[in-house]
Amino acid sequence: MSTIGWVTPRTAGIVLAGGRSSRMGTAKAALEWHGSTLLRRTTGILARTVDGPVVVVRAPGQQLPPLPDTVELVDDPVEGLGPVQGIAAGLAAVADRAEVAFVCSTDLPFLHPAYVRRVVALLDGDAVLPHARGHRQPLAAAYRTALAPVLAEMARNGELKLGQLFERCRTRHVDDAELLADPRLQAVDPELDSVVNVNEPADYRAARDRPAPEVAVQRYGALARRGGPAPGTVQAATLGAAAAAVGLELGRHVVAALNGDQITRDRQTPLVAGDTVAFLSADAGG
Amino acid sequence: MTAGGYSGRALVVDVSATSATAGALELPDRVLRAYLGGVGLGTWLLHRLAPARVDPLAPSAPLAFVFSPLVGTPLTTSAKFAVVAKSPLTGLLTDALASSQFAIAGKLTGNDAIVVRGRAAELSVLLVDGHGARLEPAPDLAGLPAAEAEEAVKERFGRGWRTAAIGPAGERGVRYATISHDGRHAGRGGLGAVLGAKNIKAVLVRAATKVGVADPEAVLAAAKDLRRRSFGPATAKYRELGTLANLLAFNAVSTLPTRNFTAATFAEAPKLAAEELHELRGVARNSCASCSIGCEHIYSRKGGGSQRMEYENVFALGPLCGVSDPDDVFAASARCDELGLDTISAGGTIAWAMECVERGLIDAPWLTFGDGAAVLRALEMIGAREPGLGELLALGSRAAAEVVGHGSIEFAPQVKGLELPGYEPRSLQSMALGLAVNARGADHNRSGAYEADLSGDLDRLSGGPAHVAAAIATEDRAAVMDSMILCKFLRGVFTEPFEEWAALLRPVTGWHVTADELRATARRIVLAKREFNAREGATAADDVLPRRMLDTPLQLGSGRTAELTAERLRSMVDHYYERRGLDADGRPAAADRADLLL
Repeated sequence: MSTIGWVTPRTAGIVLAGGRSSRMGTAKAALEWHGSTLLRRTTGILARTVDGPVVVVRAPGQQLPPLPDTVELVDDPVEGLGPVQGIAAGLAAVADRAEVAFVCSTDLPFLHPAYVRRVVALLDGDAVLPHARGHRQPLAAAYRTALAPVLAEMARNGELKLGQLFERCRTRHVDDAELLADPRLQAVDPELDSVVNVNEPADYRAARDRPAPEVAVQRYGALARRGGPAPGTVQAATLGAAAAAVGLELGRHVVAALNGDQITRDRQTPLVAGDTVAFLSADAGG
Repeated sequence: MTAGGYSGRALVVDVSATSATAGALELPDRVLRAYLGGVGLGTWLLHRLAPARVDPLAPSAPLAFVFSPLVGTPLTTSAKFAVVAKSPLTGLLTDALASSQFAIAGKLTGNDAIVVRGRAAELSVLLVDGHGARLEPAPDLAGLPAAEAEEAVKERFGRGWRTAAIGPAGERGVRYATISHDGRHAGRGGLGAVLGAKNIKAVLVRAATKVGVADPEAVLAAAKDLRRRSFGPATAKYRELGTLANLLAFNAVSTLPTRNFTAATFAEAPKLAAEELHELRGVARNSCASCSIGCEHIYSRKGGGSQRMEYENVFALGPLCGVSDPDDVFAASARCDELGLDTISAGGTIAWAMECVERGLIDAPWLTFGDGAAVLRALEMIGAREPGLGELLALGSRAAAEVVGHGSIEFAPQVKGLELPGYEPRSLQSMALGLAVNARGADHNRSGAYEADLSGDLDRLSGGPAHVAAAIATEDRAAVMDSMILCKFLRGVFTEPFEEWAALLRPVTGWHVTADELRATARRIVLAKREFNAREGATAADDVLPRRMLDTPLQLGSGRTAELTAERLRSMVDHYYERRGLDADGRPAAADRADLLL
C-alpha cells in the first residue's frame, strides 16, 4: 500500500520487530491478528498515517511474516543491544527522507492513526515521550531522525537504557490529558488503547478476544445492489473482513476507499474504530 | 489487394454552392496498417487534407467521418465511427466517437472514410452511397433538433439511409455544437459547428456493398467469445446502472467537480445518484447496434417523456452548476440534445459564468449556482446565440474569459479551450496529467488515467513517475481502441489488451499483427495528433491546467489536502515528454515524425 501524506510533512514510521519475545514464547511479529499478523497490522497503521517511508527493524537473520513491498526492512547490525540500537538503525535508515519518525514496537494491536498523529504533532524539540496509561511509552513515541548518531553512540558505549536518551535531548513529556486534548483522539481512543501491548500469552488472548473495531461501510454503484441492503456498520479489523461482511471480495473488480481518501484493494489493510469504508467498482470512470 | 475490413479509399466530397463532387483518395495498406481507422486514420487524413492554420469554420477545413476494420463485423461494440476535424473551440485537432448504424452503413458505402469540404449555398443534406455523393437542399430542416431532422430525412429519402445530423446550435455555429446519430453524439470540440459552417444539416449514408474480412470463420468465433466475455463483471456497472453510477462513488472520494471546481464533493449528490433514480423512476435500457453491453439507461421524466442520462451530462448540468434537482438536470440534458450542444462544455461554460456573476464580472444576477431554471435559460441563449450573454457563452469558457478578462481565465474550467469532464484533477493526479497533455484538450476518453488513480495501485494525491507511466499506458490503450474501433466500456474484459486486440485484428485484416506492433501504432497515433497540433501553433504552454487547479488545494473530508502545484504538474509533463520522446516543446522528434507517414 502506498504511503500517504498526512501527519506532517516528511514523517516516517519505524517498527521494531527484533525483540526476543521471551515472555510470549513465540515471535510476536507473526502472531495472528484477525486474518493478518501483528507486524502487518502495525506497519499498515503507520503506512496509513505517515507520508514518509515505513521501515521494520529486525534482528540479524530474523524471519518476518509477509509484508507489502512498500515496507522497507532494516537489519539491526548487532543483536542484543535492545531498542537503543534498534531505534538508531531505524532512524539512520530514514534520516535522508524524513525529519521525524514515529517509532513503535510490533505488538500494539490497537494502535490508532489518531494517536500517531497526535504524538507527532506535539513534537517541538527532539522527542515526544508519552506517559500514557501510567507508563512511559518510548516505543509509541516520536523522535527526530537527527537523533540517530546520538543513539548509535549510546549503543557503542554500552548505554542501553533508552531513558538516558531523554536526559540528553529536548524531550517533551506528555500525559494522558495532553494527548486526549486532541478531540479526534478523544473521540476514537479515549482509553488510549493505542499503547496497549501484548507481552505474555494471556495479554495476547485478552487482546485477541476483544471484538474487532466497528467501521462504517458503504457500497456504491452496482455493488450497492448486491446481497441486499448493506449494514451501516460492521466489525472488521481488515478491509478483507469488511468486504466479506458485506458479501464482496476485493480484487480486480472491487476496490475500497478508506475514509474517502486512499483507495486500495489490499485485503490486509488494517481498520480502526471510526473508519468509513466505501466499496467501489474498480472500473469507476467513463 | 486491400486488407480485409477495408475498402482502401476515402471519399473526399467537395460541396459547392449547389452540388457535390466526390473523389477517391487511395489509402495505401501501409497507412491503414499504421493508423488502423477511426481516430488514428482520421488524424492522418487531417494532416493530409487540412491546410495549415486553416480556420476551422472555413470551407476548406475538412471534416471526416472515419470507420474502421471492425465496423460491420459481429464483434460486439464495433459499430462506431469517428468524426475528426479542426475544432472551432480549441483551434486544434478534435475527434469524437459516436455509435450505431451510421457506422455500418457508412463503411458499406465502400469508403473507409467520408471527408466533407466546402460550403453549400443554402442549408442542405449530403447523401453518400454506392453512386457517390449528392447535395440536396433542405431549408425545411432549419432549426430542427437532430433527432427530428433524422426523422424528416427518413420520410423524404427512405428508410435505407442512416443519418448524422446537427441541431440548431450547429447551424448557428455554437463552438461546442455536436453531431448526432440516433440519439448518440459525436460531442466534443464543436464538430457540429464545423458541419454547420458548411451549411450541411445532415450527412446521410446508405450501404451499397460488402466489405469482407480475411477469415470470416475465425472472426465469428472471436465474436462469440468476446460477446460471452462482455457479460462478465468487467461490464456490470454499465449494464446495471450505467455511467451515472460514477456520481456517488466520485462524491465519496472527493472527486466530483462541484460549483465550477471550487469543491470536490456535493452535499446533494444522492438526489442525482443512479442508485436513487433507479429506485424512483422507470428505467429502460438501450444499446447501440452490435453491442451486447447495453449501457444506455433511459429514465422516465416527471410530466412525461424520457431522457438518457450519463455521468458526464449529470455532473456538468448538476453539481458543476450547483444544481441538485434531477428534473432540472433532466430538462437541461434534454435541451442540450435538442439544441445539439456538448453537455460538458455547456455545463462548464455556464458554471464559469455563474462564478463570474458572483464576482461581479458578468451582469446577469439571475444566473446563480444552484438555479436549474437559470441553467435552462442560459442554454436557450447559447443555442440561439442571443446577442450579449448568449453570444459570449457560445464561444466556450476560454474565449469568453478572454473577452471578460479580470483574471476570469484562471477559473475557466478548460484545457486548450475544451471544458473539463467530471474528474477533479487535484484528487486524481494521473488524470491531471492526462487532461493537461491530451491533444484534443481536457478529455476523459482519449486519456483514461483516472483508472490508475482509482485502482489503489498508487497514491492519487502524489503525482510522480508512476502517474506518468499510468497516463501514457491509458493514452496508448485509448488510441488503439478508438482506432480499431471497440467501445472502451469493453476495456475491462481484456487482461492482455494489446495481445488480445492483435488477435482480433488478424482474422479481420489478414495482417500478422502483433502486440508490439499495436503498441507502436498507439504511440504513432498519439504523436501524429501532437504533430498536427504543433503545426497549428500548439506549444508546451498549452499542456497545462487552469490556475485554480494549481493554486488552490482542496481539503478532503479525511483531513488530507489534495494539492497539485504548477511545479508538480510541470514535472509530470516534462517526464511525459521524455518518455514519449518529445522535445522540450512537446513535439515529436524528427525520427518519429518520419514514422508518421505524413
